[in-house]
This record gives sequence, C-alpha cells and structure tokens, in this order.
Amino acid sequence: MNPADSSQTPGPPHGLSPAPPLAPARACAASGRGLARPLALALLGALALLAVLGPWLSGHDPRVQQLDAVRALPSAAHWLGTDHLGRDQFTRLALALRLSLGLALATVAMAALAGSALGLAAAWRGGWPDRLATTLADAVQALPGLLLVLLVAAISPGDFGPLYAGLALALWVEFFRVVRLMGRGVLQGAPVEAARLLGFGPLAIVRRHLWPELAPVLLTLAAFGAAAAVLALATLGFVGVGLQPPTAELGLMLIELLPYWREAPWLLLPPVSALVLLTAGFMLLARRGHAP
Amino acid sequence: MTRWQRSLAQRLLQAGLVALLVGVFSFLIMRALPGDAAYRIAAARYGYDLVDGAAAAAVRAELGLDGHWLPALGRWLADLAQGRLGVSVVSGEPVWHELLHELLPSLGLAAATLALVALLGLPLGLACGLRPGGRLDRLSLALAVALRALPPFALGLVLILLFAVQLPVLPAAGHGDAASLLLPALTLALPLAATAARVVREAVAAVAASAYWAFGRGKGLPGAVLLWRHGLRNAALPVVAWLGVQAVLLVEGVVIVETLFARPGLGHAMVHAVFGRDVPMIQGTALLLGALFVGFNALVDAACLALDPRRRDEAAE
Amino acid sequence: MTALPGWPALARMAGAQAAPAGRPLRIVGPWEITGLEPAIAGHFFTRLQVCETLVEADDQGRLQPGLASAWTLADDGLHWRFRLREGARFHDGTPVTAAQVAQVLQRAHQQPGLLRLAPLAAIEPAAGATGNALLLRLREPFALLPALLAHSSTLVLGAASRGADGRLGTIIGSGPYRIHALTPPQQVQVQAMQPGLPVQQAHYLNVSRAETRALMAEAGQADMALALDPASLQRLGRLSRLRVAQVTVPRTLIMKLNAGHRWLRDPRARRALSLALDRGGIARGLLRDGELAATQLLPPTLAAWHQPGLAPLRFDPAAAARLWAELGWQRGRDGLLQRDGDTLRLTLRSFPDRPELPLVATAVQEQLRQTGIDCRVLIGNSGEVPLRHRDGSLELALAARHYALVPDPLGTLLQDFGAGAGEAAGGQGGDWGAMGWHSPALQQALTGLARGQGDAPALRAQAMAVLHDELPVIPIAWYRQSAALAPALAELALDPLERSWRLSRMPWPGGRA
Repeated sequence: MNPADSSQTPGPPHGLSPAPPLAPARACAASGRGLARPLALALLGALALLAVLGPWLSGHDPRVQQLDAVRALPSAAHWLGTDHLGRDQFTRLALALRLSLGLALATVAMAALAGSALGLAAAWRGGWPDRLATTLADAVQALPGLLLVLLVAAISPGDFGPLYAGLALALWVEFFRVVRLMGRGVLQGAPVEAARLLGFGPLAIVRRHLWPELAPVLLTLAAFGAAAAVLALATLGFVGVGLQPPTAELGLMLIELLPYWREAPWLLLPPVSALVLLTAGFMLLARRGHAP
Repeated sequence: MTRWQRSLAQRLLQAGLVALLVGVFSFLIMRALPGDAAYRIAAARYGYDLVDGAAAAAVRAELGLDGHWLPALGRWLADLAQGRLGVSVVSGEPVWHELLHELLPSLGLAAATLALVALLGLPLGLACGLRPGGRLDRLSLALAVALRALPPFALGLVLILLFAVQLPVLPAAGHGDAASLLLPALTLALPLAATAARVVREAVAAVAASAYWAFGRGKGLPGAVLLWRHGLRNAALPVVAWLGVQAVLLVEGVVIVETLFARPGLGHAMVHAVFGRDVPMIQGTALLLGALFVGFNALVDAACLALDPRRRDEAAE
Repeated sequence: MTALPGWPALARMAGAQAAPAGRPLRIVGPWEITGLEPAIAGHFFTRLQVCETLVEADDQGRLQPGLASAWTLADDGLHWRFRLREGARFHDGTPVTAAQVAQVLQRAHQQPGLLRLAPLAAIEPAAGATGNALLLRLREPFALLPALLAHSSTLVLGAASRGADGRLGTIIGSGPYRIHALTPPQQVQVQAMQPGLPVQQAHYLNVSRAETRALMAEAGQADMALALDPASLQRLGRLSRLRVAQVTVPRTLIMKLNAGHRWLRDPRARRALSLALDRGGIARGLLRDGELAATQLLPPTLAAWHQPGLAPLRFDPAAAARLWAELGWQRGRDGLLQRDGDTLRLTLRSFPDRPELPLVATAVQEQLRQTGIDCRVLIGNSGEVPLRHRDGSLELALAARHYALVPDPLGTLLQDFGAGAGEAAGGQGGDWGAMGWHSPALQQALTGLARGQGDAPALRAQAMAVLHDELPVIPIAWYRQSAALAPALAELALDPLERSWRLSRMPWPGGRA
C-alpha cells in the first residue's frame, strides 16, 4: 500500500504508536542482539512476578487508607511509602502492573487470534472474503490507533470493555496483513503443493508449513502490540478518558500523584519506572535481526 | 494509470473510509445512552452547579434526541457525505467554524515539531552514520530506545518540570507566542528525532559504504561536497519513507500534548468533546485529524515518488 | 472582535484613544467558555466586570445596588419596582433602557436557571414613572426576587449583542470593562472603559489542569491563578515571590442520598452513614485543612444561617455499628452487613469536574467499607446525578453544592428542599437536594422565609435543625476558594461569593493610577 512498506520485515503495528523497528547498528548488533531477548525476558519475568506475588508479599490490603499518614516515606512497613490516601503504594503498584500486563496480553491475544484467522482465511480463499477483510483492514488503518480507541471508549467512558475492544480493534490489522502476505507466499510454494498432493489436510499444512514460518514474526508483532496497549491504556488514563479512580492503573496513578511531585517525588517514580520498564521490556523482546 | 494516479486514488479511498468509520462511531456514541446524552450536554453547557432536570429537558427538546436509529443513521451519513457537520451541541457554534479555529494551532504544532525533528535528528544521524559503531553512535541508540519507551505525556511532564520550573526559561502552558510552542513541540519531537537520527544514520552508513562514495573519495572531493552530491539524495528516500510511518505518532502526539499543555487545537477539542458528549464536535475533530493523517501520508507518497527515479519512471502495469 | 460601532465616539468622550498601558493582568482558571449565553457563560462576564446584574452583593451577601440604583416593594407584596442607574450606558454608547432590561429578563426567565424560582407574572417598563424604571409583577409574594436578580444568568446585555435571529454574536455590557477579544473556549481579553483604572487590560486563559495552573503561577506566567489543588497551594505558600489568598466560600461537599431507598428510609440508617465518615481525616489528609471538616451543612461564614447551637457531626464507627444492629443488620463472614439475605451494597456516584471529588469518593468508599457497607464508586458526568435523581436509580452521590448561587442561601435551599422542589419528580426534593424525603416543618420554614413573613432568624434555625437531624443530605466538608497572586496584588481580598475578580479595585503597577 504504502511505498514505504518493506515487505521483508514487519513494520511496527500501525496505529498505537509503538516503536518502529530500530535498525541496530551492525557494530552493536553483535553485542546487542544476543543480549536483547534474555534481558527482555528477565525484565518482563520480574515485572510479572511482582504483579502476581506483590500483593501477597506485602501483606497489605490495597484498599485500606490512613488519612493521617498520607504520603509517608518508604519504610519497613510500607516498602514504597503510602500514597495520597495513605494506601500502601507497593501493593497498588503491583495491582496496576497486573492490570496493564493482563490487559496487554488479553488484547494482543484477541487481536492476534482474530487477525491471524482472518489473514489465513484471506490467503487461503482469496476472492471476496479477501477483498472484504482487506477493505476492513484499510478502514481501521486509515485512522490513527489512539483516535480509534478514543472513539470506541467514548461510547461508554470509564468502562473497561470498550477500552479493551478499541485496543483489540486497533491491533488486529497488523497480524492480518502479515499472515495474509506470508501465508500467500507459503501456500503457493512447492512444499505445500506437494503436501496437498499427498493428501495432507489443512490443519497439518498449517502446523507443518505455515506455523514455523509465521511464529517468530507473530511473536515480534505481539510484543510491539503489547507495548502499544500498555502505553495506550496509561495515556488514556492520564488524559482522563480511560479507567477511573480508585482503580490502580499506571496512568491514573501518575495523574493522581502528579500534584505531589515536589513534596513526594518517591511516589511518582515507581509508576513511571514501571511503565517505562514494561514498555521497554516488550520492545526489547520485539527487536529482531533484520533480514539483510 | 500512472503510479502517481494510483497512489492518489488509494489515498482518496482511505479518506472516504475515515469518514465512514468516524461517522458510524460518532453515531454509536450519540445513541449509546440517549437519556444520558441530554444531561451530559446540559452539564457541559451549564456546569455542575446549574445542571438539573429542567436544563436537560431544554437540551432534549432542542436537539431532538429521540427517534428510531436506522433512518437516523442514514440521515447522519447523508449529512456527513455532504459535509454537513451540524453545530456543536455545547457551544451552539457551527462545527466547521470551530474546526477552522482549532486547525491552525494544531498545524503550527505539527510544523514546529517537524522542524525540530529535522534540526535535531539530521545532524545527529549524519554524525553517527559517518562513524558507525563509534561512541556517539552507541549513545544515540540508547537514547532512541529510552525515549521511545517513555510515554509522550511522561516526557512532557519531565520537560515542564525541567524547563518551566527548575530553570524558568520557558512558559509551562498557554499559547499565543513562539516560546510557549517550544515545549510542546519538543515533547513531540524528541522521540521522533531520536529515531529519525537512527534512520538517517543507516542511510548515510549505507551510502558511505557504497562504491560511488569510494569513487568520489578517489576523485579527491572534500567530505562535505561529496555528502551533498551523492549522500543526501540517496539518504533522503528512507528518511522520507520513515516519516510516513511516523505520521501516526504525530497525530496521536498532538492529541496528548495539546491536552497536557492546555493548548487549543484539534486534539484538545476532541478530548473535550468526548467529556461533554458533544458528538458533532467529536465527529468533526476525528474527521479532520484523520484527514490530516491521510493527507500527510499522501504528501510522503508524492515525495517518495519524486525522490526515487526508479519508481517515478515506472509506467502503468 | 473588531472595534464596536460607537466605541471611537466614546473614546473621544473619555478624552483619549485608550492605548493599552503597561502589561495586561493575566488570570488563569479552570472554567471553559462553552458558549456566550448568560445562562452558560454569564459568570465570566460578571467576574470580568463586562456586564452587570441589576443587584450586587457585598462580602457578607447583603444586597447592594448594581445596574439598579434602588428597588421598592409595593404594599401588596406583588409589585417590585427597580429604578435603573442614571446615565448608565452600554459599551456601544446606547443608553440602558427599561425596555431593553425587560427584554433581557424575559429571556432569562425562559432559560433554565434560577430566575425560574420566582413566581413572575410580568416584566415590563414601569409606565409613567419618572426616570428609568422597571416593574416586576408576581403571582404571590416572593422576598427572594432581588437576590435572584444578582445571579449572573440575569446579566443585562445591550440590544446590539444579538443578531436578527436572536443569536448572541458579541457581548455588549455596561460594566467598567469591555470585551477586547473573545476566543472560546479558552480566552477572553478585556479592556478598561476608563483610562483611570490601574488594570487597563486583563486576559483570562482557561487551563484545565490544576497543577499546570500552579506551575504557571510559579513560573510567573500568571498574575492570578485560581482554584488550585491543596498540594500545589501548600507548595506555593512557601514561595516568597507569590502570595496565596484564601477565602471560605458558601460551598459544601455533601453526600446526597436516596432517602426513599428501602435501606435508607429510616433516619437512623442515614445517621449511621454519617457516623462512619471521618471528616477530620478527609479535611486534614486530602484537603489539608482540618478546619474544613463540616460540623453542619453551612459554614460559620454564613453567620445568618450557621447554627452554633447544633451538636457537631462526629466520626464514631462504633455508634454506627450499634445503629445498624438496631435496624437488624448483622456483619456476615466477609465483614459486610447483612439482613434477610440482603448485603448492604450501595453505589456512590460522583464526577471529576472538581479534582477533590474523586479523591473524597475513594476515601468515603473505604470508610463505609470499614463499617460493613460495600460501596461501589462510579466517577462519571455531573449530569448523571440529576438524571438518576429523576429516574429514581440514584443511591448515593458526592457533590460540591454551592449554597449561594444567589447571595442569599435561601435560593439554593428552596431549589433543593423547598415546596416546589422537584415537582417533576413528585415533589420529593430538588435535583441536588433531598431525594424521596419530605419534611413539613422545613417546608413551612422555607416558605415563610421566601414570602418574607414571620421571624426570619427563628425560621432559619428551624430549617437548619431539621436538615441536621434528618440528614436528607450528609455534609462532609466546607470549601475555601484559593488563588496564587503576583506580589503586586498582595492586598487583594478574594470575593467569598465568587461574583467578581475585582479588576477595577486592583492595584496594578502596569497601569496608570
């Protein structure tokens, strides 16, 4: 479509402002590429552990407030201090991470499933299903992703459902395009031709021929998509069109704690770092060597 | 059909799709909670001290918020197709009038951003590209990754705290003068410039490694002349193409940054319209932002065709 | 906006083409200009002293002459006569006539707004009167009428403000400042009509985020930053280059509740809700000012209404638990109150227009949970509260109610608890007041006050006592209006009624004294 498209490497998922693939410097590539994936996995693993075990480790109920002990410094009792309502900041951070990770994985899973299925159908069938799905994809791509999510979320502001639907709607296109393009290449190739002649069914063909080709590319797209979803959720929360307090969500925590940035900077730092580490982790995971 | 015509036709189709999508979603928003819409609009008009049942009844009567949805959708899309956007339900002003009012500041912000991207990204990319693997090159890569992981609103906050408060040299918010444009534009431009530098660097490095570069060197041309004559044109193509991919970031960034810095503009107006359930305004702002996005992409297409003789000379297939 | 027709002539009369002297005064606030109609944006034009209302008020809420220099009530209690100020002119040079004022008020009476409270039969120029006077005829006595005519939705505009189709195109008022430029939704610029005023030019800019307003004040980009959040206030208060001014305003943070709800019908249930609220903690921890914890509905600054004799509302979870037990509720295994298989679950609605509301809602949610009530918080649009009041689905709501929209709190109290309040919803209270609750004693007191009959202090005490005992709305905290001011404005006292920014009274070195 776009003359700038390179058919070789999947670009970033179009829409929700994920990073474009940063071409790694060849000099850095040797050192960087080997490290990127383990580093990303370690980072995301640690964050996931924190999200799952954090509330249990701290032993605090995230709802309990102490209005006479607000914005306390980190201590043995409250590892990251208490927020503006005297709630345990560490527990709330863990819950916010849980929400962001959960939403990112859920939207990406949904988008990947829907996009891949449609892409596969389009590649397999061609004809009118292909044209219909492509038109749909073009329509979604015609609007910047954040605007699309904003429009969907505006149907019922503050609800989780429309946010989730809007994000998935913005993210499926990339999966669709890649699966359709690559699927077409594989399906028209000699190995598949041979497999068909030997009487293999469609499932076997997908498992044997398509999946190995598609898997790494889909993983990259999924990682970009997850980063985009995390950022979009936080951004909408920050602008006030996303989820609503008292939900623990990274963007909301930032906007709630912003007024105290000078007297309690230690409160603002953890959600910012969590957000940056989470997106950076997904982006590092997505970085792959480019086909030269 | 030449390539020019084909790419233009594609973009026009895209613009049509934008209109359809925005129209349908706007209509859905309008219909989601009809009872609630009258109260929301009344709240946006009269404020939380004066919104009450009487105010909402007046709004409902004025806007005719009842009726069956299917004919209404038809009317809605027909109006849209004729470019009739109606009046803002909150201010009572014609939507087109308000959009024109908001368009200029947004365009100014986008233009300032692109200028900053060029000012910051190109020299850095050139410097890195001529010394691939050097210290500056590694540093700029790290910077690019860091800036892309930091959400734009968080970056904006950091910049405000740094420049407007700690070293009070720039205005924190407001609009109307060049100084107040600098911080929002910088917020948008920094991550873009960081990645632009990487793209430029790749292109320049590729050119520097090419045969004609070595040939030029052999002729004894000084570096600057050489770069000008051979390097830039060849390096420009991937950079311009990359800009097309970044159009999304630019449009989304405008929405966030305008809201954060309280600048008038399409993005700010859209977020506000969502709050106030001002559906004609939501539709108008989303439509115009989508059109800008498509228009920007069309310009990039044209620039790519103009820059690349191989594509330009291709006739119809 | 271009120069107004007739303005050059006026400038010649003033002796000089007013060249802007010195730096304009820059005001930032959270209010958006969402339209020009007085019902929507009138408060801008009165605060900037572009337009006037017939009646003004001093800091104590006592009525003062505005565009009307005097008013009298006939013996029948039905005919009010307002004499207009001699020589008053609009900014385009046309005189302020009784006919024009009558037309403006007739329009205001048809718009949603407070003037609807008045049982008006006719508004007309007073026939055969010497000078310029206006006659308002009522269907029944209504002592509050002058106070209603102080509300910004009744401001007086010149005839040239509206086009032939009745649409408002420009704002032509009669105040000491005229509109210089108007760019909704964010900016208004005004210019003084007389060269003698220290503030010759003022710019209002809408900045929606409180922390951004604070940053602008701190960075010296705003001379007057209004409605700041408690955290910023504390920070700015420590800076020597700024002055923070505060004034208690007649606004109260209340919990509106559905007293017709089967679980809240008994006054003891409402008292139990009230006892669960840690007002001191909310005031100290969230509003950062312990004195703002409400002991009753109206603050001491409204001396005529505040009743020192009433026992202060207190925080006592144990007493709340006893009351719930009396009503047959028992704590279940999950710590929540249960009765006949029901769990005590209530939804609390609020809106984010005022930054403290979602915060306080979160605190209230937790305090109710501590006494065994499962409270779901929904932060939505402010319109949800009247909407759900009318369809009966509201359970709890948190709002910041302004009790002096007109200088006399009686206006708001009539709207919220008066006999005619919520007629559309069966006379069970106003959209922001009582819901499913009715008290003859209160009605009688308010009606007596509205008609101007009986012993006013005693009637006010009676009204406040009923509200305090029955708790149709539960008071939580009072409010202070705050502003960060440039040093030049150090002497400025804020208007407790938030009616004016007092440009004409400001000392300003940029201007000419």
